[in-house]
Amino acid sequence: MIANLRVVLTTFELDVKQQAVDLFMIFGVVIQPLLIAIMAIYMLLERDPSRGIYVVVGSGMTGLWTSLLFRGTFNINAERFMGTLEGIVASPSSLATVVMGKTLASVTLSFLSMIFSYGLASIVFRFPLTIAQPLPFFVSLLVTIPAFISFGLLISPLMAVNLSLSGWVNALEYPMYILGGFLFPILLLPDWSNPLSYVLAPYWAARVLHATSSGSATLSDILLSWGMMLVLSGIYMAASYRLFRIVLHRARVEATLSMM
Amino acid sequence: MNAIEVRELRRVFRATIGTIRRHTKEVVGVDSISFDVRDGELFGLLGPNGAGKTTTVKMLTTLLIPTSGSATVLGYDVVRDAAAIRPRIGFIFGGERGLYWRLSAKDNLRYFADLYHVDRDVARQRLPTLLELVGLSGREDEKVEGFSRGMRQRLHVARCLLHDPQVLFLDEPTMGLDPVGARELRQVIRNLVAEEKTVFLTTHYMFEADALCERVAVINHGRIVALDTPEGLKRHVKDLSVIELEVFGIAPEMVETLRQMAEVDTVSVENRDQKQAIRIHSQFGSTLVPGILQRMEGNGVRVGRVTVREPTLEDAYVRLVGGEA
Repeated sequence: MIANLRVVLTTFELDVKQQAVDLFMIFGVVIQPLLIAIMAIYMLLERDPSRGIYVVVGSGMTGLWTSLLFRGTFNINAERFMGTLEGIVASPSSLATVVMGKTLASVTLSFLSMIFSYGLASIVFRFPLTIAQPLPFFVSLLVTIPAFISFGLLISPLMAVNLSLSGWVNALEYPMYILGGFLFPILLLPDWSNPLSYVLAPYWAARVLHATSSGSATLSDILLSWGMMLVLSGIYMAASYRLFRIVLHRARVEATLSMM
Repeated sequence: MNAIEVRELRRVFRATIGTIRRHTKEVVGVDSISFDVRDGELFGLLGPNGAGKTTTVKMLTTLLIPTSGSATVLGYDVVRDAAAIRPRIGFIFGGERGLYWRLSAKDNLRYFADLYHVDRDVARQRLPTLLELVGLSGREDEKVEGFSRGMRQRLHVARCLLHDPQVLFLDEPTMGLDPVGARELRQVIRNLVAEEKTVFLTTHYMFEADALCERVAVINHGRIVALDTPEGLKRHVKDLSVIELEVFGIAPEMVETLRQMAEVDTVSVENRDQKQAIRIHSQFGSTLVPGILQRMEGNGVRVGRVTVREPTLEDAYVRLVGGEA
């Protein structure tokens, strides 16, 4: 257990070091969310400046999702490219432990998106930014971490089990912005699409963070979102455990551990 | 006791061919091979490119599932007991990949130490010793991307030894190294055997196998064609002489003509810049030379130096793999 925890933490530390100099991640985590925030801020400027916090949380969530999606997609495949996947698989540590460390790094770095968006809205655009329910908001932030990590753990083996799936990564970025309710409520979407949102942990994360930051959250709302995130995390973890086994077995049968 | 036991091990690869009308082609990588490696032995698997050396190593290191047959490492089955084998073995695959280039050498080693669940205090003590062993002391804080190929290969050796494995699989470890680097690495390998490690070495350099291995298996087209001590393998060619000719611009058809000669055993060609070195194995030695020269000159091939010599271990290897080396 301690040995596995050490693998997670060392992977986290070394992955942060590598991501910090990765231009693509800098774009996804810093520049793109800022562009989205600027666009949303200008849309709100004339209408309702008090909703600045909604923009900050929403654009932060876009950064979180972009980072999770792209890193999740390439977590295993990048190791394949580098030739390090064989070293990991042949070690006593499980690949899932390594991917968990990498996903933790992505999620942690992604919170920078929210901080940068906050800085942009409050310092540059001088929006009055207050978090109406700070304690539930920060607890909700903590609950989103396992929800996002488990979602990342689901994405990585899913994309590795079928290499052609990773070609669809770009197409998956924007639908989550919409279905997750990051930038506007899903109530604006047709009813038939709502069940799709309900099975996505990022939707519940966005819902509770928007509600607690704007002060519209009731206790039952908060508990529902936290509960859904935890239940979905459990489901994602169980599915990812099965997927990791399939990925590793298939890679050993098809000889794809060291090739792309 | 045997550290490795291989019985009728076979591996078939499937490749899809075609864009519209796709069909699957089967390629036999390793074809029913059997051998044992004794505990503490330095065993060599020798063969030309594509012979099945790396496939064999990957099956023994649990990275590939065999199509049929069985193999055990330290008594554990490579398919059923992969988790028991992994902490007990180390491996190096030739080449520069397999390291994190954006990280320092020290970070790479620290990471692999954690992956192998090496106690932090033990790793801290072992790191300087290993860096010293592979000649990277003082360079540990530099990023791997700035390392030469030889330095990366030596870092691989340190990585492979971090968890003090009992069995080491070294797949063409000196590939691409300069002569001095290769010699140093061979000394490291000798030292490992002195420490009673079992080493499974693949190479296509005969002299390397001759210098290091107690026994050598020669593999070609996925099958083991000979397994003996280096001295035993040399006996395969004691009846032969080797004629070496330096030629300029020989056509493949002419090489084939030489191969068809009844007195010729094998013919191999090595390209050296503008010229080619032709090596002919024959029982007839120097008596065959005039006939060969006549055929060559008759076909307009310019011939330079001609030598006739006694066979070496490399000649035994060339004979065993049918001139494909």
